Amino acid sequence: MRPFDLVEPATLEEAFHLLEGDDPAVRPIGGGTALMLMMKEQVFRPVRLVSLRHLAPQFGAISIDADHRMIRFGATTSFSELEHSAVVARHLPVVVRTMRTLANVRVRNVATLGGNLAHADPHLDLPPVWIALGAQIVIENPAGPRIVPAEDIFEGYYETNLRHDDIIREIRVPLNASQRASYVKITTRSAHDWPALGIAVRLEMKDGLAHHPRIVLSAATNKPTRLVRTEALAHGQPITPASLRELGEAAVSEADIASDSRGSADYKKHLLRVHLGRALHALALEE
Amino acid sequence: MASQTLTTPAMPAGQVGRSIPRLEAAAKVTGRAEYVHNMSLPGMLHGKIFRSVIPHGKIKHLDLDAARAVEGVFLVAAIDDIRKVIAHPYYGPAFHDQPILADGKVRYAGEPVAVVLADEAHIAEEAAGLISAEYEELPGVYDEVEAHGAQVFVHDELKPAATFPDLAHLLGRRDTNVALDFQLRRGDADAAFAAAEHVFEHHFRTQPTMHTPLEPFVSIADASGGSLTLHTASQNPSFVRIEIARLLGWPENRVRVKVPYLGGGFGGKLYIKLEALVTALSLIARRPVKISLTMQEQFFMVMRHAATIRIKSGVDKSGRITARSCEVWWNGGAYADIGPRVTQKAGFTAAGPYDIDNVELNSYAVYTNRTPAGALRGFGAPQTCWAYETHTDMIAAKLGIDQLAFRRMNLLHDGRPQATGTILRDAAIDKVLDRVAERMNWGTPLERGTGRIRRGRGIAIGFKGITAPTTSVAMINLYADGSCGLYIGTVDMGQGSDTCMAQIAAEVLNLDAESIKVIHPDTDVTPYDMGTLGSRSTFHMGTAVRLAALDANQKIAALAEELGVPPNSNLPFSELLRRKYRMQAGNIIGIGSFIPGYDKPDQETGQSANVTPFWGVGGSGAEVEIDIETGEFKVTKLVNVADVGAAINPKLLAAQLSGAAIMQLGFTTSENMLYRDGQLTNGSFADYKIPCLLDMPAVFINEFVESRQHDGPFGAKGAGESTTIAVSPAIGNAIADAIGVRLMDLPLTAEAIHGAILAAGIGGDDEH
Ligand SMILES: Cc1cc2nc3c(=O)[nH]c(=O)nc-3n(C[C@H](O)[C@H](O)[C@H](O)COP(=O)(O)OP(=O)(O)OC[C@H]3O[C@@H](n4cnc5c(N)ncnc54)[C@H](O)[C@@H]3O)c2cc1C
Repeated sequence: MRPFDLVEPATLEEAFHLLEGDDPAVRPIGGGTALMLMMKEQVFRPVRLVSLRHLAPQFGAISIDADHRMIRFGATTSFSELEHSAVVARHLPVVVRTMRTLANVRVRNVATLGGNLAHADPHLDLPPVWIALGAQIVIENPAGPRIVPAEDIFEGYYETNLRHDDIIREIRVPLNASQRASYVKITTRSAHDWPALGIAVRLEMKDGLAHHPRIVLSAATNKPTRLVRTEALAHGQPITPASLRELGEAAVSEADIASDSRGSADYKKHLLRVHLGRALHALALEE
Repeated sequence: MASQTLTTPAMPAGQVGRSIPRLEAAAKVTGRAEYVHNMSLPGMLHGKIFRSVIPHGKIKHLDLDAARAVEGVFLVAAIDDIRKVIAHPYYGPAFHDQPILADGKVRYAGEPVAVVLADEAHIAEEAAGLISAEYEELPGVYDEVEAHGAQVFVHDELKPAATFPDLAHLLGRRDTNVALDFQLRRGDADAAFAAAEHVFEHHFRTQPTMHTPLEPFVSIADASGGSLTLHTASQNPSFVRIEIARLLGWPENRVRVKVPYLGGGFGGKLYIKLEALVTALSLIARRPVKISLTMQEQFFMVMRHAATIRIKSGVDKSGRITARSCEVWWNGGAYADIGPRVTQKAGFTAAGPYDIDNVELNSYAVYTNRTPAGALRGFGAPQTCWAYETHTDMIAAKLGIDQLAFRRMNLLHDGRPQATGTILRDAAIDKVLDRVAERMNWGTPLERGTGRIRRGRGIAIGFKGITAPTTSVAMINLYADGSCGLYIGTVDMGQGSDTCMAQIAAEVLNLDAESIKVIHPDTDVTPYDMGTLGSRSTFHMGTAVRLAALDANQKIAALAEELGVPPNSNLPFSELLRRKYRMQAGNIIGIGSFIPGYDKPDQETGQSANVTPFWGVGGSGAEVEIDIETGEFKVTKLVNVADVGAAINPKLLAAQLSGAAIMQLGFTTSENMLYRDGQLTNGSFADYKIPCLLDMPAVFINEFVESRQHDGPFGAKGAGESTTIAVSPAIGNAIADAIGVRLMDLPLTAEAIHGAILAAGIGGDDEH
């Protein structure tokens, strides 16, 4: 690996200054778990990495609004902090459950929420969960901050619309006491593998009917993707074998799935059909 | 007793059979154990390889200028540079077919074409990225069956190496991709098929897989001083010395090969790998040269043979197998490596551990334009066992005979001739099968599941012969203070050979195993050993060590007599040395050398009176749980039983048995090198999946049976491979038992099971 500069600014202004210009070899670094792999592979050869870890006081907290309507995650929060947070366990148990099969303890101890979003590998487990939960992303830029829905930052395979001088600051997740959510990671080879499919689902149940469902598919598609037609179809529906079959077919026809080493397109479509049905069924039964 | 007044430790009893922890355990867990990977020499250059991106073609132009221009680059070398120091730069254990760097032609995607040397590895890496090559692409052959008869030839001419006696018959030939064809004829298979009540024929395939040692290939050559020292992660120091000396035209005593611990080998680090390349580069550069491959580059070094297997059996009215014929095509990749021996040795046992009077076997080592294939834990036995044990299960099912009963009815027992004609001896095949059945509770019905979950169970048993004839030499040096050094060429690559050999020496010498120092392979110091391979070390080196210790004891006795000390005085040898030299001085050196008997199989019939020093035997049983809606499955129970003779160290043995089984579990369910048009498409550990802890079966039993190898050290034989043999068919048979559908090709994936379920129209889609 070629030598490079690692800088650790203490303020956002300094960070912006260090990121100035449009050299793609100058980038922010969170936990470095994704960047290091790309550097070893020579896909990325940095000149300067701008670490965000000293911004932690403003960027690293998990907090909940006084009215309990919103939970905020600083972008340098590590996966382990998420995993072990009592607040998250209480309000967003799906996030804690997702951590159980995400990477390993060494990676979780250092990988950050901001780096995870910006990396935009479609196989990552957390982005579909954020999207299903209706998360908003706060992005800082020298020209001023902006807030966008999580699904809007993903453009394609390892591609986001983040600009060179954008720094993710925070993830905001609206809370809703009556929502139920789950994430299913489906691996087809060894247990510890990138998912062939990730399915994140969130909904409310009213009088036996699904309300405001959000259904997100990842890994099998080139970016985490909301299946909006399937969501629309599910809204107001009871969860029965017949409706699940219909929703499964809708999801399969809506999703753009290609073959890869984890499975053929047909097989992955079949897994989507079956596992989406099982996920919806389990949520409907949940207390 | 008089001797107790001297500083003799209490008489250690039973060094053999003791589960002592590994001698190097503390050094390893504290990060102090020595590996080539961590080694650095003064003035050392780092090499980085530029590889072919096409599977077959002529090199039209190689542009090295941009790489040479990089600041910090010391040298950029291609084959013409290598020729300046090694005139005929071709190597290999079976054929001298592999060029040190591509010589005008590339034969697989990933083949080394040029090398950059620099003071810093990252500079070499960057410069290697600037090399470019233009090729005239040639049509390639990738499939082993197609390559067998193809008109595209991987090599124009085959040049046998004539290094090993068991491969002495290899021929120099033109216009063929077949490196070796082994054939065996016993009885009259044609007549027996004609007379058979039932005839069954099936075709099977196994996929290419990889060794995946934790420590990738790494070698350092230091030729800066007129002689050569190699520090290399090799399972084969003696062979490396012989082959490098041959390449250089030097006497063996100018080549020194040193091997510290290995971070795993599994057959991958056998024969020559990077050693010839670093040797040539160090001679050119006159500085030490190190090349360490990345994890990903391992995919381009050596792999396990993919195989296609056709197998046919004739069965009589009573359910006895009367005839079996097998044809096996081994995908050898672009260079033969040790593939011809795999082809031959796995050929011997391709009909399975059954007593069959009429056998016909053909086994072909076939060149293709893929990564070379070589030895991998089991030497082909797991591939052939996949075929014969699936086939055997299918026959039993078809005949409506219980799978265990059918096997018992046909099993090969001690005293009966095996397919090669060699009389079976000390092979506890029956005991292993019995124990598997017992641990599987075969007599008790299985809870078979309901709805979308179905359960099934299966068993399988297999065996293998051992590479022969091979030699091990051991030396014991008793120092004047009463301590002991054991000098052996066996490489401890994680299997625990240091510990096991120390136990054998300690048993004979009446010392504590923990007090013995095992001196690691250094060809200037340790005597010859053929190699740490094919389950041979405990039997061959173990015997040599025992003989060396006996030799030392005789010399102690002679010294006592010389000094007039009465026999049985129990005076320790240190005291004898002190009396002789009047001070703490001198040595007692014991030497042991061992080569088992061998009878070369007949060229036409494969018949031999003594084809193997011993038989490795392994049986497995598996229970699986399948989701018939998706094909997703779990191996919920895996039982592995081996015949290892007597146990030198039961704890180490258990680790060997479970390790071998886990490795084979990966080769059964997930590992698969995927090729498209000769290009590997999943050459990383994100996409080539080895099993992890979460993939372990909930019930995982590994055992050995009570047995004794009559001529093994203290009754022991090799144990490193036995539990690889039968894992795949046990799992495949369990899947078939659960869903009634057979998979004929490895690996057994959820998608393949789902496909088979769909094709058979099993289950409904009404469950949620
Ligand atoms: C062994 C291993 C196993 C893994 N297994 C899993 C798994 O099972 N499931 C899973 O989902 N993931 C897995 N991962 C991936 C892991 O989740 C990601 O590597 C991690 O989330 C990236 O976060 P990071 O902070 O380390 O990012 P970094 O490597 O620091 O950065 C990644 C990218 O984000 C940019 N960046 C970082 N922070 C910011 C910011 N605040 N604003 C803007 N851009 C930023 C960087 O410039 C870079 O482009 C695994 C990784 C490893 C190494």
